[in-house]
Amino acid sequence: MASARELVDDRPDDNIFRVNRAAFTDPVIFEQEMTEIFGRTWLYLCHESQVANHGDYVATRIGTQPVFVICGSDGEVRCFYDVCSHRGSRLTGRTSGSAKVLTCRYHGWCFNADGACTLVRGGDEAYRPEDLDRMGTDLNPIEQFGSYKGFLFGCLDADAPPLEEFLGGAIPFIDLMTDQAPDGMEILRGESRYMMEANWKLQTENSTDGYHVATVHRNFATTVGYRETLAPGGGDGMAKTEASRILSLEKINSGGYDVGNGHMINWADRGNPEAGPSWPQRDVLLERYPDGKVKWMLERGRTVTVFPNLLLNDVASSCIRVWRPVSAGLTEIETWCIAPKNEAPEARRARIRKYEDFFFPASLAVPDDVRAMEGAQIGSEALEDGWNDLALGHKTLVDGADEAAQELGVTPLNSNPGREVETPFFAFWREWAGRLSS
Amino acid sequence: MGGAFVIMTVSTAAASHLLYREAWCLDNKRWDEWLALYTDDAVYWAPAMDGDEGWTDDPDNDVSLMYMDKAGLEARIFRIEGHDSCATDPLPHTAHLVTNVLVHGEEDGLIRVSATWIVHSYARMRGGSVRGGLYEYGLRETSDGLRIAAKKVFIHDDRIVGPIDIYNV
Repeated sequence: MASARELVDDRPDDNIFRVNRAAFTDPVIFEQEMTEIFGRTWLYLCHESQVANHGDYVATRIGTQPVFVICGSDGEVRCFYDVCSHRGSRLTGRTSGSAKVLTCRYHGWCFNADGACTLVRGGDEAYRPEDLDRMGTDLNPIEQFGSYKGFLFGCLDADAPPLEEFLGGAIPFIDLMTDQAPDGMEILRGESRYMMEANWKLQTENSTDGYHVATVHRNFATTVGYRETLAPGGGDGMAKTEASRILSLEKINSGGYDVGNGHMINWADRGNPEAGPSWPQRDVLLERYPDGKVKWMLERGRTVTVFPNLLLNDVASSCIRVWRPVSAGLTEIETWCIAPKNEAPEARRARIRKYEDFFFPASLAVPDDVRAMEGAQIGSEALEDGWNDLALGHKTLVDGADEAAQELGVTPLNSNPGREVETPFFAFWREWAGRLSS
Repeated sequence: MGGAFVIMTVSTAAASHLLYREAWCLDNKRWDEWLALYTDDAVYWAPAMDGDEGWTDDPDNDVSLMYMDKAGLEARIFRIEGHDSCATDPLPHTAHLVTNVLVHGEEDGLIRVSATWIVHSYARMRGGSVRGGLYEYGLRETSDGLRIAAKKVFIHDDRIVGPIDIYNV
């Protein structure tokens, strides 16, 4: 078995960047990832709007560990291991819910929403006080828990750097989404969880991959374009899509960035930004923020891929996507539509319809992505020594900021014009190899 | 006797026949005949899950798995027939089992019918899968016969494997 360092052939001086496909298939590598990445990195858990009131909770997992996020009696949101302190039963009975008291369904121990044990059933008769002191009956909080503008993250490594330091160069791009919402953002009702028979890193690449759009999503463009011819007028205003642009031969101002710490940005100027759901806010935003930032908010579609498994997509609609590894060849993917609170009804409706068009396993796009990635997984098994050569865009890669980045006032590690580039992947794979090799 | 008040209803046999006809069209890939079973103002709605027991119920404010008008349905067929979507080409073989058909009577000008469904789907090389759920229909008598003006599909799968589309639910 090769080490992770050997699986990434990164020779900048020779203009070589290749990834060995064993990275997608090797179960030993997968175990290392669970320990060194999912055991040590900040990972997205849920949004604050899902745990707004005392007792609201969301049950999820970090790597292989069950955890839950809950709003306490003091209004503070915390994250605990989802494990009864008695004999290890999972405490939450639902994927999400509201409970001011969590009762273990196995033996009836009770915990409040702040994590304190409030009842050991039969405890007074059976335990000596020092037994309970020794055991520690309160719930165990995870090692680190933090919020960035309502996005809640957890980390199982007490020594990991703070959340904002980790998010680093991705922060200005996250702000482009959240700063459109003067009253804050909320997760819309409606869940989606689907399985992909492929390695989780294929989803990380796919989320920032502009190169597949004109092939995998060509049928999305023609299908939505056809639908608009059937309903003349019905596709006007905010409902109007820019799907057909995928097929356009015009040169679209676009690019990809490595913003450090494994985070990747892919962006493209929008075809009809005035159909965007936040366009009516433009004058208000221009009063509040520099022109360049507002241009980025409303006139540029962006995918922000946060290491290792989070996508914030703000293009035609707005999507949070998280992909959680199950095994080397199986991944669970969950998505949410996120929107500004108090959005106008027409904008909200258009945002939702465009979200359903693209981001669900019942949509006109995600099923094709899943099949494409599953095909890549099958192909990755094929050769003893198969390499993915990520040379696309090498020719045009520049250090630091391009013109668009300067408009936002940010300096990526490197920039590349055009959506059809693979160089942003370097960010992810360098972080991946570094973490597995440390 | 002008302006006669007509109580709309259909027999269980007539409602069942339409639902079976739809399943037959889907399983035999008779797409144009399938589309013709829907009125021009039809709404096709597959709500998303909301929590462990609930479903989204407001398509303007909540996300649905699918929420489509007739043009949306036609676009789904366009996508299949284009053979350019790796999720829908090749198509799996599907077998719809539609049962427990109940006619509930008229509401908001439509005849309300519920049913239970199971779809066995077999994709070559990938193998078979079974998915199940409930249907709620709103039917209308037209000059072409009984037609579907509203269909609501409750899909019970939580961790969805493979694509979900009009042909496999």
